Amino acid sequence: MTTETIPPVKLDASTLSLDSVSLWQITRRRLFRRKSSVVGMVILAILILIALTAQWIAPYSPTLSMLDAKPSQNVTKRSAPCIYALGCPTDQPQHIMGTDGNLRDEFSRMLYGARLSLMIGLSTVSFAIFIGTVLGALGGYFGGWIDNLIMRVMDVLLAFPSLLLAIAIVTVIGPGLINALLAIGIVSIPAYARVVRGSVLSVREMDYVSASRALGGNTYEILFKRILPNALTPLIVQGTLGIASAILDAAALSFLGLGAQPPTPEWGAMLGSERNQVFTAPHLVFYPGLAIMLTVLAFNLLGDGLRDALDPRLAHMS
Amino acid sequence: MKRNLSVLFSLVVLASMMLAACGGGVATEAPAVEPAATEAPAVEPAATEAPMAAYEGLMVEAPDCEYGGEFKSIEAVDELTVKITLCVPDPAFPSKIAFSSFAIQPTEYLESTGGNGDLLEKPVGTGPYMVSEWVRGDQLVFKANPNYWGEKAGSETLVFKWSAESAQRLLELQSGTVDGIDNVGPDDFATVEGDTNLSLLNRPALNIMYIGFNNNPQVEGFDNTTNPLANEKVRQAIAMGVDRNRIVDNFYPAGSEVASHFTPCSIPNGCVGDDWYAFDATAAKALLAEAGYPDGFETVLNYRDVVRGYLPDPNIVAQDLQAQLKENLNITLKIEVMESGAFLTAADAGQLPGLYMLGWGADYPDQTNFLGYHFGSGASKQFGDKFDDITSAIDSGAQLASDSDREPFYTDANNAIRTHVPMIPVAHGGSALAFQAAVTGAHASPLGNESFSVMSNGTDSFVWMQNAEPISLYCADETDGESLRACEQVTQSLLGYEIGGTAVEPVLAESYEVNGDLTEWTFKLRPGVLFSDGSSFDANDVVTSLSIQWDAANPLHTGNTGAFSYWSGLFGAFLNAPAE
Repeated sequence: MTTETIPPVKLDASTLSLDSVSLWQITRRRLFRRKSSVVGMVILAILILIALTAQWIAPYSPTLSMLDAKPSQNVTKRSAPCIYALGCPTDQPQHIMGTDGNLRDEFSRMLYGARLSLMIGLSTVSFAIFIGTVLGALGGYFGGWIDNLIMRVMDVLLAFPSLLLAIAIVTVIGPGLINALLAIGIVSIPAYARVVRGSVLSVREMDYVSASRALGGNTYEILFKRILPNALTPLIVQGTLGIASAILDAAALSFLGLGAQPPTPEWGAMLGSERNQVFTAPHLVFYPGLAIMLTVLAFNLLGDGLRDALDPRLAHMS
Repeated sequence: MKRNLSVLFSLVVLASMMLAACGGGVATEAPAVEPAATEAPAVEPAATEAPMAAYEGLMVEAPDCEYGGEFKSIEAVDELTVKITLCVPDPAFPSKIAFSSFAIQPTEYLESTGGNGDLLEKPVGTGPYMVSEWVRGDQLVFKANPNYWGEKAGSETLVFKWSAESAQRLLELQSGTVDGIDNVGPDDFATVEGDTNLSLLNRPALNIMYIGFNNNPQVEGFDNTTNPLANEKVRQAIAMGVDRNRIVDNFYPAGSEVASHFTPCSIPNGCVGDDWYAFDATAAKALLAEAGYPDGFETVLNYRDVVRGYLPDPNIVAQDLQAQLKENLNITLKIEVMESGAFLTAADAGQLPGLYMLGWGADYPDQTNFLGYHFGSGASKQFGDKFDDITSAIDSGAQLASDSDREPFYTDANNAIRTHVPMIPVAHGGSALAFQAAVTGAHASPLGNESFSVMSNGTDSFVWMQNAEPISLYCADETDGESLRACEQVTQSLLGYEIGGTAVEPVLAESYEVNGDLTEWTFKLRPGVLFSDGSSFDANDVVTSLSIQWDAANPLHTGNTGAFSYWSGLFGAFLNAPAE
């Protein structure tokens, strides 16, 4: 990603106080002006809504085999979608997206999968941002050998293709959703550390930081109260885009059987387990694939929008 | 002057090369004369009867029969006669010795490889094909063996490819890049049958899929507590709490059946004794509570994600099993998929911590291949500790000649298995192969050992796609069907199985005789047979090939993992086995 080329937002008093329009108001206004980012936000809003309400809107438990359903149902595995509104006879049980290889309701699994995917994206990125920010801020602020040490370690991490490194980590600590999240989190740390360090490097030379230092502020106060809040904007963009790649990486790991373990309804795992049915039951690979694509697209659109909206060079457009 | 020098130089080089060649020849022949200087069962030339014969036949002999194995001695009586003496009568011996694990390779070659290394990649055999090139991860290429004694192979080149994905196998067949595929996906049977360019061949369900248990009280993962699976009642409860009909009805293709016993009924005495437990969730739950686990427990389900005739869709079956045990017994299964080779090794060594799904395809149609291999006294530790009443019944039954004499013992064995539940027999899985309709000689073997030398697509190259890459090609030390099938194109045993069937027929031995109590087997070898490397086949090759497996002290008893599971599974303990 090209975030390093984005200069940090410099807040000068004029933009802030003259007509009392805050940075966030400007950002919001710019964000909503872009159609693509609105589309991204709409998709995301729907996803979040689905994730929050999955247990009420899903017709079945995501792990319930229709063989265990009460009352018992007469369906076969990998049955085609049956939607009453589209003419499916009502004497058959309705499965909007059909059933999967274990006779589970695909629609319910898709809904619960949304919850899992958002959780994966947010938790890995939060983890990576937290660690990355601390490391980047320490390196950028103190410089010297601390900076050298931290950034060289980050360089080493960056030298590996991220998915390969994640696979290696999961192989060592064992497959499983939590381990996969940890692995993806670890491999995304360097991107955030670099962004934060860059911002901190430029912000720490600002007058108000010098002023704070001159007033006798301690290191902690200067770093976490003066510098970091003003160095965070590039991180927001990086983080939003990072969620997209984290979801994609997690889906890839699950597809390979290293992420979410059965019967967890994770989209990547669902895609992986039915990969041999691509010709005989295409809906079982189509829906999870589509869902992954839409989610990643939504985060990418929003991320792009945020990047433009937060770019001070475009300030005159507001 | 310069020219003279270079001529002289090349002469010197030539001379040294000849010297080296001669020296090499001597070096490889030397150890053949005095093989394996092991102490106890020293290999010594057998007393040859005909004073004319200068042939020095090898002999390997056990000092007595106390070591626990079936073999007493293997002897090269003369160049074309091998006599095998057994400690106990074994009516199934011809069927066993015909198996591809007991294939014969040249003595010199075996010794030059040290028992592994090249031997794992390039076996030298007497079969219709020889290995030309094995590109790991890509393909295995065979060339027709110019020295083959039988009818020439149907195509000059035979290529083995593999893909774990049934969809990909079918796609390759449909696009014409391969001539035949193994294990058509259960959902694709109709597609193949509806395609006039393809033919579907059903393979009889001569196999078993089972859920194994590790019944050792202390296993990894239960360090501080006792492994619940060590409790017989727990295993019985699980046996009752799994609805096997549901698994077979929903996840197996047509031609499959629920297993009433471990061994398929088409094998003599296969399903004598009581039928397996009927599904009864309530009784199972009560039994589990009685065993001390009213709220269930947590354990692991291991398997390998490979398609076999006995298990066409492992992931789906694993998840159904997971759902069933959760629903019926509140047992939480953690699914752990393992790499194929690692899984088999761990299973064999009894290192899998909980339940596992595995299966078995018949190598020859006899109870010794099913019950004997898995539960007999020579069986591996795959089901943890052995049960004396099972092993003794199986070992007694194996020594009797007629099926009716054996019946009471196998009835006892089956009933004891039902009581102790070392595993749950689930299904005899139907499977199918598909070929291009134009292929002649296409067949499906109930033993899974299709012979490609009788097949032809009219060109000089034939491509076969199976489920997985062979693990190694030294099949004395392999148990995986994907490896065995590749070996079977190259190497041959004394006897063999008819193409597409199970009857035993002569191969490297033209005939054999046996004494009245079924302990002395004399094989008359086929004369004039050459190995693919040009060396000639004789009785000493038989003694060496077999004694490497039998004698644990033989320096060549190394193989791929050194387990030689088929030998111990079929013939009991190894000679000179290291004390445990």
